[in-house]
Formats: sequence, structure tokens, C-alpha cells
Amino acid sequence: MLSESVITDVLLAALSTGGDFAEIFMEDTFNTQIRMLDGAVEEAVSGRDHGVGIRIFQGLRSVYAYTNDLRRESLMKTAREAAAALPGVPQGKTVVLARMAVDRFNPVRLEPRQVPHRDKVEVMKKAHLAAAGFHEQITQVVVHYLDVDQNVLIANSEGLLAEDRRVRTRLSINAVATRGEEKQSAFRGPGRHMGFELFERIDVEEIARDAAHSAVTMVNADYAPGGKYPVIIDNEFGGVIFHEACGHSLEATSVAKGVSEFSGKLGEKIASELVTAVDDGTIPNAWGSQNIDDEGTKTRRNVLIEKGILKGYMIDRLNARRMGMEPTGNARRQSYKFAPTSRMTNTFICAGESTREEIIANTEYGLYAKRMGGGSVNPATGEFNFAVAEGYMVRGGKIAEPVRGATLIGRGSEILQKIDMVASNLATGQGMCGSVSGSIPADVGQPTIRVTEMTVGGRKEAN
Amino acid sequence: MDFREFKERVFAAGKANGLEELEVYATRSRSVNVRVFDGQVDDYRVSVEQGVGLRARFGGKVGYAYVEKLDEDSVDFLVQGVKANAQIIESADEVVFHEGSASYPQVVCYNEDLDRLSPEEMMAFCLELEKTALAADERVFKVSNAVTGCGQTEVYIANTRGLEQGYRSNGVFSYLSAVVRQNGQVKTGYKVLFDRDWSTFQADKMAREAVEEAVSLLGASSVSSGSYRVLLRRDVARELLATFVPVFSAESVQKGLSLLKGKLGQTIASPLITLVDDPLLENGAGSAPFDGEGVAARTKRVIEAGRLTTFLHNLKTARKDGVDSTGNASRPSFKSPVGIAPTNFFIEPGEYAYPELVESLDDGLIIIDVQGTHSGANPVSGDFSLGAFGYLVEGGRIVRPVDQITIAGNFFKLLESVEAIGSDLEFEVPSVRGNVGSPSLIISGLAVAGN
Repeated sequence: MLSESVITDVLLAALSTGGDFAEIFMEDTFNTQIRMLDGAVEEAVSGRDHGVGIRIFQGLRSVYAYTNDLRRESLMKTAREAAAALPGVPQGKTVVLARMAVDRFNPVRLEPRQVPHRDKVEVMKKAHLAAAGFHEQITQVVVHYLDVDQNVLIANSEGLLAEDRRVRTRLSINAVATRGEEKQSAFRGPGRHMGFELFERIDVEEIARDAAHSAVTMVNADYAPGGKYPVIIDNEFGGVIFHEACGHSLEATSVAKGVSEFSGKLGEKIASELVTAVDDGTIPNAWGSQNIDDEGTKTRRNVLIEKGILKGYMIDRLNARRMGMEPTGNARRQSYKFAPTSRMTNTFICAGESTREEIIANTEYGLYAKRMGGGSVNPATGEFNFAVAEGYMVRGGKIAEPVRGATLIGRGSEILQKIDMVASNLATGQGMCGSVSGSIPADVGQPTIRVTEMTVGGRKEAN
Repeated sequence: MDFREFKERVFAAGKANGLEELEVYATRSRSVNVRVFDGQVDDYRVSVEQGVGLRARFGGKVGYAYVEKLDEDSVDFLVQGVKANAQIIESADEVVFHEGSASYPQVVCYNEDLDRLSPEEMMAFCLELEKTALAADERVFKVSNAVTGCGQTEVYIANTRGLEQGYRSNGVFSYLSAVVRQNGQVKTGYKVLFDRDWSTFQADKMAREAVEEAVSLLGASSVSSGSYRVLLRRDVARELLATFVPVFSAESVQKGLSLLKGKLGQTIASPLITLVDDPLLENGAGSAPFDGEGVAARTKRVIEAGRLTTFLHNLKTARKDGVDSTGNASRPSFKSPVGIAPTNFFIEPGEYAYPELVESLDDGLIIIDVQGTHSGANPVSGDFSLGAFGYLVEGGRIVRPVDQITIAGNFFKLLESVEAIGSDLEFEVPSVRGNVGSPSLIISGLAVAGN
């Protein structure tokens, strides 16, 4: 990592024009990726990402420059080049660095770099065998293993100097089921902010069988009917609906510029009173947790919506200036190649009081979205769409036939108001969230919920 | 340390450690991006990056590793990394290193004029974009993005079979999105340009088009569910094509992940469809003299008048099928293993101007945007179900904007049901999936879910 004198010199060089704040983000990351197709390891890549990003603010302006040449003279040149984009003269700032005591609440027991490859392959084989052996219609299984060991140093002209280490491990399973010419795939991707001990905590075989079950169910399913009707969205990865439809619109990235549908609505009722939603970067070892965010701010538990009332946003340093509010520990970035901005960590709707069984029993006709796929949203209009990876029709209060190919569309603000039942079975699922500051690990979550009416895209007429 | 010197050290260390064959794939790039908001440059980014990926054979199997720092530590990391990785490879696929092609085509993919494009000019352009967009219509209340970026990349590949090649490419892009509001309804419109000729960038034209589109969507509402005749505007047609690019990859076919398996020589699309992969396209964003394995680039038709003529191959898949590589080995980055991707991949334009297509649609829907292709489309089955918006057309005339609908169908059936092709071929801003283009297409029927 860089010496304090180099850091100080580079920060001062960054402030050599009219900048009022400068920041250095240095990263040294090791990662391993292994891909297994049908039980045989096909690809293995080891990588080391290494570089420095320098950011300067002048009021609401931001300049970002990065390089992977870490020699002092190169960093000084990068800082001066970045500074040259800002007008003005030095504001006479001094930089006195003080090392921050980082509370490390995401312990890592088995460092992935110390674990031999063969142990990683063994876990992958277990997953493969469980999925492939589940059913004769399973024709292919792809298993990915990933570990990342990210070491960061963050320093800024206000004197902050913090170091952190983020170790993440993930296994993903993609099972493909075939019936004649038809193919359907199902994905599961459990991951945590921890080391190889992940595999003592999760049952890889059960997860693999679950993926296989999903794929087989869907390949034998008929298409979902299109139209507007009630939708029950199950817990765990079902939380992607809140992540996409509401979470992104609560990031300062879109709120600060007034282009979010939730801009200027603090204190207003934006959701059904059954909805309390939280972004919490402090859950030990959760996939989206971090000891500190990528600007060196301590992560925290931020209540976004409380009983339907909008309570807070997710805010980074720059947007904090724009909004006149405090940063919330949500500044994140994929790597030194991205300037950080406000992003989600672990975001979920809190537990309610119903049960899944009650919700289904109380639904005469509707869609039960047991597994959600991914989705996206336009933050300006709030319009979202996402895919239902495993769905069933509900008829007369009972789960009926499985259906495939359903898409849910709508506006975040409308859906939030239409949630009329919330179960108590809160659980989370892992995803990679892509946005302006790159692709980052994020947990989504919720209990089972019911939305009174949603537009379901499908290929059949409603019946 | 430059690439050549670093390569020499890696090859020497590799040989000393028992690696049988080695290949480095290295890139170095530089880019400047400018964004304007509220009359000020609020974001300015300069990036300089480089990296070297090594793949090498050890015990007959090939492992990968990459670094971004070119020093002695990294030489050791690469060599030990590929060695450890090669030892766990179980796949029986034979990986071939290319000794070099007999000749390489001259490809125009660098414009030196762009070296002189200053950040100040890009800033001025963005300011102009924002100003013009805000002034274009009183219903515009924000320009959420006015961005311009310019970059160049140098690619270098060398292996122990004697291959050593390089090239550089560059480009400039601009992106504008405008937000309009009326009676509480909010709509966005955007415009993206990519080129190597800065003189083709006109701020007022871009701004006007983005705003016109946003405004044209005000007052949109859904339509009744049912089957509609559909005009997929060029950008939507290309988004769908780009989403289903993997079905044309020989790797997907060999792994049983493409329904085109066994269909070579058969008719798989309307006879109106000819699909081309052309890496030699002058100034194409995906143009390059060789692919990710150093194989010389060449042009090929993938679909010719509806008939499937070839898959896209790299050396590994070509050997498996007993054919020549089509020069479609891809390395999206020095970090990525060799895969398969198209270069400049497009449906050949037809004879109808866009307004003629609208007229001949008669009664139906024009789709001008789809959302959720990364989640609502299944490249294996070809099924898609996507959020969409556009216009309702009656008697060959646009009668109103439409939103809150989904379109659902199957890519393979869609290829068969193309009834007319526009003359308005346009490419997207290049991405890892290749540089994909399409003209507008009339489709006989798609399932639409709305009210």
C-alpha cells in the first residue's frame, strides 16, 4: 500500500487548482474464478487488479482519474492532470492524515487464497452431481466458483486514512432442463462476505437440487397468461422487486438531481403502511456488507421507509453536498476504475405478520412468483420490469399449475401502495447490481408479499 | 516496462517453470469522459489502464491469469497462477494456439483526427447539448445526462508459436437523455452516437431528437392485451438481435445451448433476412484486423436469404467441428478467457424508408424501446417477455403513444415472421457482445400484454 507521505503529496497535487476536496482509493485485489461444465472444470482464471483512483471535488463538480501505474511520479502526474480540469487557485488546504480504526465485523476464517484449488473443485462437483442427478430432464449443469480478496486504502484531504479488506466467496449453479426442443434454465447463486467457510454454512447440494427442480418445473410448464391481476411475490430473491422498483429510485444518484420519482418526498406516505424497508450494510458476513464504504464512511442501518412513510435516502459524499444531507455509508464502486456513488448494500422489506400460506389461501386468482429473475428500472419514470423465473397460478386459494415466461411491469410508486399482505418469513438472496459505478455485490430480500394488481406480461390470453 | 519486454520475461519465467506453450494478450487504453449538469461540467474522468492476460499450457491443459501491474511480482503471479489453474482443468477440449495467419487485412479502425479532440471541445459540446435540449420544449424539466467520451485502445498479442501482432482503435461517443413532464406524467427520451468522425456530431440535432421522442410519449397509456402486428424500430430490432447473439456461437451450439444445433444449411428465417458479420467494415466500431486469438479477420454471412450458412467460430470450436475458425475469438478484456463474439454484426438493410414501414404497418404497434433484455429473455429457448413502449398505429398513421405493455414471443419465430425490412440500418454503441446493428423490421404478430 502507499506510504503516508506519498498519499499526502498526491492529495495536495490534486488540490493544486481550485479543488476543495481530494480523495485517493487504492486497491489490490486477488480473485479466482473456476467454471465447471457438466462436471468437468473447463476454465480457471486467477487475477490481480491493482490501481489507484483519484477524485477531486470543487463544489458540486467532480473529477475522477485512475491509473495502474503506482509509482509516485505517475500518481503525481495523474493528480495534476485531474486537477487541471478544474479552474481556480489552491485554497491553501493542509492535509493531516489520521488513521481510522475500522471495526471489522465481517470476520474471515478460511482465506480463499490459502485454500487449495482442489477443495474448491470438490465443492463444485458436489453441486454438479446433486443438480445433474435430480431428474432425467436435466441436460446440463454449469457451476461457477468465485472468490475475491479486495484490499483497499482510502484517504482524503479531510485527513481520513482507512484500510479495509473485503473477502467474498460465491458459488453459482445454472441447471438446464430439456423437453424435446424446449429448454429452461434455473439459477442459484449463494454468496457471503466471508471466506471458504461459506461451504460449512450452506448446503450446496440442497441448493443445486432446488435449481434443478426449478428448471424441470419450468420446462414442463405452459406460458403464463398476460393481463392485470394479483401477484404474490415470494421471499428471499423476490426482494429484487423492491431493489429495482424502489431501491434505485432512493439512491442519491437519482434523487439528488431531482430525477427520481421519490425526490422531495421525505416524510410523505409513498407506500402501504405494511411496508417498512431498510438498507443495512452492517449485517455480519452478508453479501452486500462492508466494514466501511468506498469513501471510508462507516456503513450503517438506514431506514428507507417506515410504515409507508419515506424516511431516508442512500447518500454518498458528493450528493450529500447537493442535497445538504449527511452521507449514509452507501458509497460503493466496482473497483478503482469507477468513481463511487450511492448504491444499495443489503436492502429488504421487513417482516410483517401474515404467513405465506395465509396469503395464498386468501387469493382467489393470481400469480405466485416463487422465484424472481433479474430486472431493471428507469429511475426517472419509475417504470420497471422483471422476469419471473419460477411461477405458478393461484386458483381458489391454492397453488395450481406452474407457468413460465411471465414478466412483471409497473411503476415503483404504484406497486408500493398496492402491497396488501406481508408475511413474516423475511429472507435474503444474493445478486450483482449494475449501475453507474459498476457491478457490485448486493443482497436483496423480503418476506412473501402480495400486490393487489400488477401487469403480467405473458404469451397467453388471460383465463 | 513495455508489453514486448514484459512478454519476454513472462515467456522466460514460464519456460523455466515447465510451461509448455504461452500466449499473452495485452491491452492499454486511455479515455476522457465529460458530463454536464445544470450548465456546469459536473463530472470529468480520465483513465489510463493496462493489463496483461496470460494463457499457458501445462501438462497439456491450459490455465489463465492476469495482472495490471507490469513488474517482476506480476511475472511470478502469472506463471504460478496459470500453472495452478491448468492443473485443475478436466475438459477434454483441445485448445489451439495460433501460429499467425498468412496475411492480415488492412482495417480502418483508428482516426488520428480524434487525437486532437480536446476535453474543452467535448465540454462545450455537452453544454450545448444540455442547453439545446432544455430550450427545445417547455415540457423538458431536466437533462439527466449529457455525456461525451473519447478513448483509444492498443491491443497486443504474442505467443511462443511465433505469433506477434498489434493494432489500435479509437472512437468518440455522446449520450443525451432528457426528462419531460406534463400533467404529472414523466417520460424520457435519449440519443446515443458513436463514431470516429467528430464532425458528424451535431448537438442541436441530437438534442432535438431526444426531446422530440420524450415529448411524443407524453399522454401514453396501455392497450388491450392481444396479438398485434408490430414494427420493431431499428434500435429495438438490434437490441433483440444483440440479446440473442449467443445462439449463433458455435460454442453454444456444441454445448447444446442453441436451438440452431443441426440447422446449418436450413432455412431458419424469412427469405428477406441476410445476417452479416463484417470485421472489415470501414470505421465499424467492431472492426479489427484479427480476433482474440490472432486469427486474421474476414467477412461472412451467417444467414443468407433466410438460410443458416455458418456459426461463429474460434479455433477451439472450429477444430471440434472440423472447419476453419471464422475469426470470431473474443477477448472482451485481457481478464477474460477466449470466447466467441461477433464483430460488426448486422441484418442487411432493405428498401423501405422508415415512414413507408409505418404506413405499411396499417394497424398495429410501433415498439421504440424494450426493457429487461438481460432478465426477460432466454437465449437458450429464444423466449422473451419484455417491458415495452411505443405508438399505436391505425390505418398507417400514428394515433397515440403507448406504455405499460409487454411484448412476448420467441426469437426464432420472430426471424421467420419478418415481413418487411427498412433501409435504416443503425449500429448500437459497441459493447462486449459485439457491435450489433439492424434496420427496422415489420413482424407479423407478437403477443402484447396491457390492460
